[in-house]
Amino acid sequence: MKAYNVINTRLPRVDGRAKATGDARYAADLSMPGMLYGAMLQSPLAHAKILNIDTSAAKRLPGVRDVVTWKEAGLVKYGVSPARYDEQVFCSDKVRYVGDEVAAVAAIDLETAMEAVSLIKVDYEELPVLLDIGSAMAEGAIAIHEDFPGNISAEVHQEFGNFEEALKECHIVRTDTFTNKRQDGGFLEPQACLARYDLNGNLTLWSSTQSVHYVQRSVAMVLGIPVGKVRVVKPYVGGGFGPKAAVNAMELAACLMSRRTGKPVKMVFSREQVFLHSRARHQFTHELTTGVKKDGTIFALRNVCHLDGGAYSSFGIATIYYAGSLLGAPYKLPNMKYDGYRIYTNKPTCGAQRGHGGVAARAGWEQQLDIIAAELGMDPVEFRLKNMMQTGDVTCNDFNMSSLGMKECLEGVRDGSNWGAKKGKLPKGKGIGVACGFFVSGAGYPIYRSETFHSTATIRLTEDGGGVNLYTASAEIGQGSDTILGQIAAEALGVSLDDVRVHSGDTDFGVDLGAYSSRQTLMSGHAVKMAAEDTKRKVLEALSEQLNVPVEEMDIARGVIVFKKDKPDFSRLRTLYIKEHRGWADQPSGAELTFREAARVAFITGGVIIGNGAYKPGELGGKYKGAAVGTSPAYGCSAQVVEVTVDEETGKVTIDAMTDAHDCGFAINRTNVEGQMQGSLSMGLGEALFEEVRFDEKGRVANASLGEYRIPTALDMPNVKTIIIESDEPNGPFGAKEVGEGAIMPTIPAILNAIYDAVGVRINELPITSERLFAAMKEKRKK
Amino acid sequence: MLLLPKFDYEEPKSLPEALAMLSELKGNGKVIAGGTDLLVNMKKGTVKPAFLVSLRKVEGLREIGGENGGLAIGSHATVSEIADSDRVGSMFPVLARSASCLGSPLIRNRATIGGNIVTARPAADLPPALIVLGAYVELKGKDANRTIPLDGFFTGPGTSVIESGEVLTRIILPSAPPFTGGDYIKIGHRAALEIAIAAAASRLTLDKPDGVIVDARVVLSAVAPTAIHAASAEKALIGQRPSEELFAKAAALAEGDCSPITDMRGGAEYRRDMVNTLVKRTLLKAFNDARDMKGGNA
Ligand SMILES: Cc1cc2nc3c(=O)[nH]c(=O)nc-3n(C[C@H](O)[C@H](O)[C@H](O)COP(=O)(O)OP(=O)(O)OC[C@H]3O[C@@H](n4cnc5c(N)ncnc54)[C@H](O)[C@@H]3O)c2cc1C
Repeated sequence: MKAYNVINTRLPRVDGRAKATGDARYAADLSMPGMLYGAMLQSPLAHAKILNIDTSAAKRLPGVRDVVTWKEAGLVKYGVSPARYDEQVFCSDKVRYVGDEVAAVAAIDLETAMEAVSLIKVDYEELPVLLDIGSAMAEGAIAIHEDFPGNISAEVHQEFGNFEEALKECHIVRTDTFTNKRQDGGFLEPQACLARYDLNGNLTLWSSTQSVHYVQRSVAMVLGIPVGKVRVVKPYVGGGFGPKAAVNAMELAACLMSRRTGKPVKMVFSREQVFLHSRARHQFTHELTTGVKKDGTIFALRNVCHLDGGAYSSFGIATIYYAGSLLGAPYKLPNMKYDGYRIYTNKPTCGAQRGHGGVAARAGWEQQLDIIAAELGMDPVEFRLKNMMQTGDVTCNDFNMSSLGMKECLEGVRDGSNWGAKKGKLPKGKGIGVACGFFVSGAGYPIYRSETFHSTATIRLTEDGGGVNLYTASAEIGQGSDTILGQIAAEALGVSLDDVRVHSGDTDFGVDLGAYSSRQTLMSGHAVKMAAEDTKRKVLEALSEQLNVPVEEMDIARGVIVFKKDKPDFSRLRTLYIKEHRGWADQPSGAELTFREAARVAFITGGVIIGNGAYKPGELGGKYKGAAVGTSPAYGCSAQVVEVTVDEETGKVTIDAMTDAHDCGFAINRTNVEGQMQGSLSMGLGEALFEEVRFDEKGRVANASLGEYRIPTALDMPNVKTIIIESDEPNGPFGAKEVGEGAIMPTIPAILNAIYDAVGVRINELPITSERLFAAMKEKRKK
Repeated sequence: MLLLPKFDYEEPKSLPEALAMLSELKGNGKVIAGGTDLLVNMKKGTVKPAFLVSLRKVEGLREIGGENGGLAIGSHATVSEIADSDRVGSMFPVLARSASCLGSPLIRNRATIGGNIVTARPAADLPPALIVLGAYVELKGKDANRTIPLDGFFTGPGTSVIESGEVLTRIILPSAPPFTGGDYIKIGHRAALEIAIAAAASRLTLDKPDGVIVDARVVLSAVAPTAIHAASAEKALIGQRPSEELFAKAAALAEGDCSPITDMRGGAEYRRDMVNTLVKRTLLKAFNDARDMKGGNA
């Protein structure tokens, strides 16, 4: 492999110091002189007609500066997919879930704003409440959205190959049903924002978001402000995992009230509001029928999926496509048939969450593959290896595996966990399980139809040559993109990471679709690399004129100019630089011409040196309906082995060890790659064992706190053995592709398979609480 | 948004000063120790004290010291101090074990033993262990003091016999007879930050290492409105020679002693099943420790 100076290292994060010391400022830390505090009135009912809204008492409360409802906000529909704009800032005719936004108040302090909210009187006429798929799809059920009778928010029907025909060639055919539970994003930082509409009619919104670009467009569209006058800035963000990837009603309300009052307006979600806003993982129910030939060839798959969508669409249209398209690979599966239905219910809206759409399907299928392997008498690892795709293979739904280190991943975890010595040989109560998975490395298309670049980047050198400023609208949300993009810029330009200042998360810095679908490293990385190469070229061209050395004979590395042939006499340039900086402490010295001197020359001869980069994916596969969801310039993949202990008298599962291998193409920062692997595993472990958003019979979230909604604690995480596989992705910058989401795919099924190995029961419903597992074991004993 | 309501805050320098203050405040004042229960409840609006009285400047309330061959623990000793105390660990390992499964390391650094008792949660971790150890609580008021058994202190979820002007000052653990052992086990979902789905504490005293059971205490928590004795299990154990069959019988009887409900943390049936498992396991450990005298006092 090529030797690099900055990338493929373990450099510390550029935001590490600020975060470790508390110096980093998040949206909730922001404040401004004269700032107002906003609060929202949200529906206490899951489904009701709004008969009347009386805001008079709230308006009279001293300290209140603005009270807004749909009358002030208007009736513009918005959402995520333009084909399904089904939300308004505030409800006008009816409310569709407990938490639906009805009104907002801005006041001089939060206490006053909250009191004013409690003074708004709404008359409701209650409607039948539909809390699950069954009642929402029932004959004669009331339509939650008038335009969608039957409450089907979206349906997908796809067939690749011929499922029915293929079954005839199969030796084993089995059908299993699998269901997960609605998850919460569980990020540590609740959404927060500060909106400021200035005297010239420019709006700036600081917000805890994964995508400044999508928020900017939505704010402009909904509030009718020219997009050029809307600037969205992302301060430090404490996690997103999907739910922060689109605009929310709070952001829109803050902008609206700032425009009306002329004052900055700040709003912050409580933890309960995070649960009400939701937009996290759906509940999926998959019925999976898999056909396998006698020799163990996986030959056919039929997947019927129902999604409990909640009250609005959000990312759900993409979710229902992903729930079908993310099966198949990484196995050579020639026949696949998919029917998916996303159903509206009177619950908070579900959307995207890490491993978007594919996690439950993967869990159910990888468990089923284990069952089939056992029926065939094959080792689960051998069975998977036999069916594995390789680099260059294309799936039946036209995903091009332009690099695929899947075999290396599986062999890596097999050997790294000492699988051979353990599988089938552990004492009762202890078990080992394996699973695989893959994921897109950036959505191939924007969420709205457009020819736009997905990422742009600009580099501007300081006039003294000493600093490299990188501007990108990408979103550092904790995953480490600022560090990765800084490293890419430094490597491509030939300087050190310390020389690069990363300015990100601001619509004034360019276009970037944001942090979702595991796209920042590949897509923003490309743009940054191009910008750095453009900058380098400009510096070298200027230098070439001065030194009479052809550009091709020069390079920049480690902060100095590399002369591939004879080193010219550059003393004139050095003298010039030293003279200009008389009295400065850090004059260039030594035998090499520094980047700083070269960049200074470039400035003097050509003005500010600016390099630009812009990326969008090339031609992608798939001409069928829905091909836009799942096609990607590259795919990451992973395998995991999990070892568990099951306490047979309590049902308690303890995860003893995890071995995880992920093919990220090329690790720009090895520590960051491992961090994403560990974080994915932790989230998968939580979904497998603990997490479930629960509702009471009126549709209220029953556990809207991190006390009763259980994400794993540090003490629940075992030590993880991480193995990085690098398959050198041709479509990625320096060969890099995703790790942020794909790594979660095998976690749940590996746990399920390990539990089966330990105690011989199969669980088809998450989470695998002690109680559920205990009941399953009890049931088995009875038989 | 849960906002902390406005309140006044006092830090009296002596106990008499504190008691006078509380008596004057009538019901409007509350003691704040670690605040891990109180502040949460104030944010939720379930308690609304106008004054909080902190005893952090009052000397002697954090001490863990010997008393008549047993131990006296100041009400303001933190749960982590108790979990980490060598003295507690060697004399009353059951208490140390229950302390080490309360909340999380961070919560344990703030939470106090006094707060855990007075708050009177049905699933609190320390009371079951303290009850099997035969703990007394020392309550001081402006005009009167009393020392009463913890067994009988609780009257329902969140309620106890403590009166509004009273302060819990010390928890007294009498020395245990020879050949005594005990155990505490809690079942939760996660490895930390769990309110018990079910928990049990047991203590057994034998007349001699290979003798019969002369005293048996089995206390269950999170399966009734307060921590309760598994009375029929206790009765079945006393006078008997310990064996796995005996413990299984006692465990089955304990199932009948509790009245669990189904809530978000767990179903009634599962809780009942867990009572069986926990009673069996704690008795076995108690017996082994009693026989080996490994458990010190209990
Ligand atoms: C995240 C979290 C996790 C938790 N996990 C657990 C758990 O696993 N197990 C468990 O048992 N509990 C748990 N708790 C509850 C709580 O931490 C404990 O009950 C703790 O011991 C309370 O002690 P404190 O010092 O914080 O009490 P405080 O909150 O200060 O007081 C609690 C009550 O006791 C009164 N009080 C306190 N001290 C005295 C005194 N000396 N005299 C008279 N009245 C007094 C107060 O007025 C108040 O009514 C948890 C709490 C949180 C926030």
